[in-house]
Amino acid sequence: MPMKIENGPFWKRVGENLDNDFMRGAVAGMQDRGYVRRLGVIEELGHWEEWRSLAEQIRKHTLENLDYYLMQLSENVAKRGGHVFFARTAEEANDYIRRIALEKQAKKIVKSKSMVTEEINLNPVLESIGCQVIETDLGEYILQIDDHDPPSHIVGPALHKNKEQIRDVFRRKLGYTKSSDPVELARHAREMLRRDYLTADIGITGCNFAIAESGSITLVTNEGNADLVTALPKTQITVMGMERIVPTFEEMEVLVSMLTRSAVGQKLTSYITVLTGPRDEGDADGPEEFHLVIVDNGRSSILGTEFQPVLQCIRCAACVNVCPVYRHIGGHSYGSIYSGPIGAVLSPLLGGYDDYKELPYASSLCAACTEACPVKIPLHELLIKHRQIIVEREGKAPAAEKLAMKAFRLGTASPSLYRFGTKLAPGAFASFVKDGRITKGPGPLKAWTESREFPAPSKERFRDWFRDRQKGGNPS
Amino acid sequence: MTRGAIHNRDAFLENIAHRLGRAPRLSGVSRPQWSAQPQWKVLAGYSQDDLLAVLREQCKLIHTDYIETTNAGLAGVLKQQVTAYGGGPVIVPDDPRFAEYGLSALLRDEWPAERTAIHIWNPALGRQNIDAAEQANVGIAFSDITLAESGTVVLFSRNEQGRVIHFLPKTYIAIVPKSTVVPRMTQAAVIIRKQIEKGVLVPSCINFITGPSNSADIEMNLVVGVHGPMKAAYIVVTDR
Amino acid sequence: MKVSLFVTCLIDLFYTNAGKATVELLERLGCEVDFPEAQTCCGQPAYNSGYVKEAKEAMKQMMRAFADADYIVAPSGSCAAMLKEYPHIFQGDPEWEDKANRLAAKTYELTQFLVDVLKVEDVGASLHGRATYHTSCHMTRLLGVKDAPFRLLEHVKGLELVPLPNAHQCCGFGGTFSVKMGPISEQMVDEKIEHIEEVEADYLIGADCGCLMNIGGRIGRLGKPIRVMHIAEVLNARN
Repeated sequence: MPMKIENGPFWKRVGENLDNDFMRGAVAGMQDRGYVRRLGVIEELGHWEEWRSLAEQIRKHTLENLDYYLMQLSENVAKRGGHVFFARTAEEANDYIRRIALEKQAKKIVKSKSMVTEEINLNPVLESIGCQVIETDLGEYILQIDDHDPPSHIVGPALHKNKEQIRDVFRRKLGYTKSSDPVELARHAREMLRRDYLTADIGITGCNFAIAESGSITLVTNEGNADLVTALPKTQITVMGMERIVPTFEEMEVLVSMLTRSAVGQKLTSYITVLTGPRDEGDADGPEEFHLVIVDNGRSSILGTEFQPVLQCIRCAACVNVCPVYRHIGGHSYGSIYSGPIGAVLSPLLGGYDDYKELPYASSLCAACTEACPVKIPLHELLIKHRQIIVEREGKAPAAEKLAMKAFRLGTASPSLYRFGTKLAPGAFASFVKDGRITKGPGPLKAWTESREFPAPSKERFRDWFRDRQKGGNPS
Repeated sequence: MTRGAIHNRDAFLENIAHRLGRAPRLSGVSRPQWSAQPQWKVLAGYSQDDLLAVLREQCKLIHTDYIETTNAGLAGVLKQQVTAYGGGPVIVPDDPRFAEYGLSALLRDEWPAERTAIHIWNPALGRQNIDAAEQANVGIAFSDITLAESGTVVLFSRNEQGRVIHFLPKTYIAIVPKSTVVPRMTQAAVIIRKQIEKGVLVPSCINFITGPSNSADIEMNLVVGVHGPMKAAYIVVTDR
Repeated sequence: MKVSLFVTCLIDLFYTNAGKATVELLERLGCEVDFPEAQTCCGQPAYNSGYVKEAKEAMKQMMRAFADADYIVAPSGSCAAMLKEYPHIFQGDPEWEDKANRLAAKTYELTQFLVDVLKVEDVGASLHGRATYHTSCHMTRLLGVKDAPFRLLEHVKGLELVPLPNAHQCCGFGGTFSVKMGPISEQMVDEKIEHIEEVEADYLIGADCGCLMNIGGRIGRLGKPIRVMHIAEVLNARN
């Protein structure tokens, strides 16, 4: 699945999702429970603002010296016998991975959860050469067998599906005969996938954090699937976004502590695994061959711009989990595998404004995202920057809005024009006012009055009242 | 060890430097002094007994049985716990600590006599180890470092200790010497870094394991036991 | 103490009672209130829509209008937060950077000014009924004013203040968001109103007229018996 989800224009997607009561209930429940849980672990940890400041410093330092740390990482991977491929584009990355699969005559490939392999659309490339590609994260597995339903959340990809839907998919595709009890469903997936781990030729993973100093990669899961994906097949391929790197174990530790708390409200997830190169000589498990694919795919064009902070992201989805807009429209409305506030900032950068011009406006700028972000990405400010670019550079703003803003500029820059304009307001609105309010407004007010009353302008502006009072010399 | 290949690096890194608006920086960068270091404040000043109390509480949250014993009682407690998990087959690494902790008799005599199948990881047997792990009901290993805050056991892979011992068996038991308990991952990271700085190669796999495997991917319902072990226990040896 | 009032466009035009209450309240607490006539708008509607050039012209006008003020007090957390952003926006501008810094340094939201500068929590107000308070996003997250409104409201005689469930959630206003993304905004404000109804409040109190226009406008459309009041009106109430 590429970054873009092909599911129609923005308002069609939003409309469908607003009608999806199960999804909305699931998201609201996840957000409400997650909110309490996250605040609980943060409070228990203590000094959260210091943690955020530390995490931000680590991410900024690493990005500012990214060439140095990638150099160090690649040297250390090679020293341990691993191969490193730097891919400027999705095509380069896919091509390299396909060549390995061909060389190994791979028939079965198991994968642990990886957003970047979704982004570069790797699976179809491998399937086109006859490989069976199996997602092993339970959520991803469910989506894959359901004819590649797109993920709706970067941490809980199948959040939008209920257990009855999952049961039905299992029945249809896997010959499942049991109930919709999540335990039974999960046990069935366990049995199915167990065979796959043991017989796969290649294991493919993402990377939460690469460690430059030791040439290691860190994988964070609760299920343990990434461990089986990397322990059993003879070849391991790890695909990482080029920015997912830290200097040493010490910084990895800090960011993992913040990732697990921010993502799922856990002190640590069940499995944090640090892998360095292929298996050591004399080992009886672990891959015989290890490849690290470092992907740019548009990231470098964000470096050095005002959007650079978005590359600090550690994919925890804390911003998604507090977003009031995501709460109602769900992940699929974003039309991108990256949803929520981070998706609204990142998708236009990686995928362009043509496909994602609405996303920067799908925010009330409430800043809940910015407040929740463990690495202090100023998400709502970056959304405003997108809007500025859409207005100034892309010229994609509606004509009526441009006209209104021109009037705003004239009216607010000149006190006399402002006074004149506002003085006219009650008269201009007079014909729409009924019982002191406007129920059906003209022009831009129309959208407002679709669902809300608009107040009628006061007969006397505040400034008139104040001036009269000053003249009268006595308080009213 | 044969050095691996590196493809397309120069142009890739040059582009990054170009985007950052400066000359390439390929050496000579050192980490700054981070202005905040709150990680050292967590459980600071806790005694080993205090840390154990934290670990015990944390185990309740991570669905993990917590059992304390002395070295003298270890063999009995371990045997009992394996029975509680339904008995063998059992898989263990070839770890000298089993002998040091007085478990040789259990492993080599008692269990075999009771027809509890036991497999001791042997790299010379290759793939057979994996098959044994797949068949195993219980995997047992010694924690190398234990993190009180999160209830995590840290395990370094080595020839004699395969990775899948911790993942393929249905249940998992970690033996935790009290002396291995540190406040949190911060201390573990420093221990590992000191080795790196000394030029010691880090093991190809380091596992930080916190309880049994789980998932909340179906309607946010927590299911314990997905791809890895379905149950876990820590047996803490209080006098080691 | 001389206070220069930045009344905000919404109050100037629509919610004049909140402006009047602000003046009376400040005077009662011994302030001399001044209203610089040259004030217009903080620039937020344009700035948040991406029209930075247009916004800057409004911002410059504000800096001119309030150049001589000792304290600038605004009965709106969102507009005050916008003024506080000026230094960031004019950073590196040789003509305006200093002016932006000075303006931001002397700007206060009303409740912040009462509690932090005037050091009062009991303003002698009384209002009878059950009320809940909507914490505006910009006021709490951008301006960092979280406690002041509660400290003041706790001292209002006769007022039973009940916590609003999911108080941290946006009401769905978001300036132009409310019209550009109307169907989404509607769902957000409906959820907010459900929570207000859940606690059976007679009054919904807020410190930002944008949020109040949104919540109040929806309450009006749905015909709910909930009265919407600006906090200045509550603190000025004597009944």
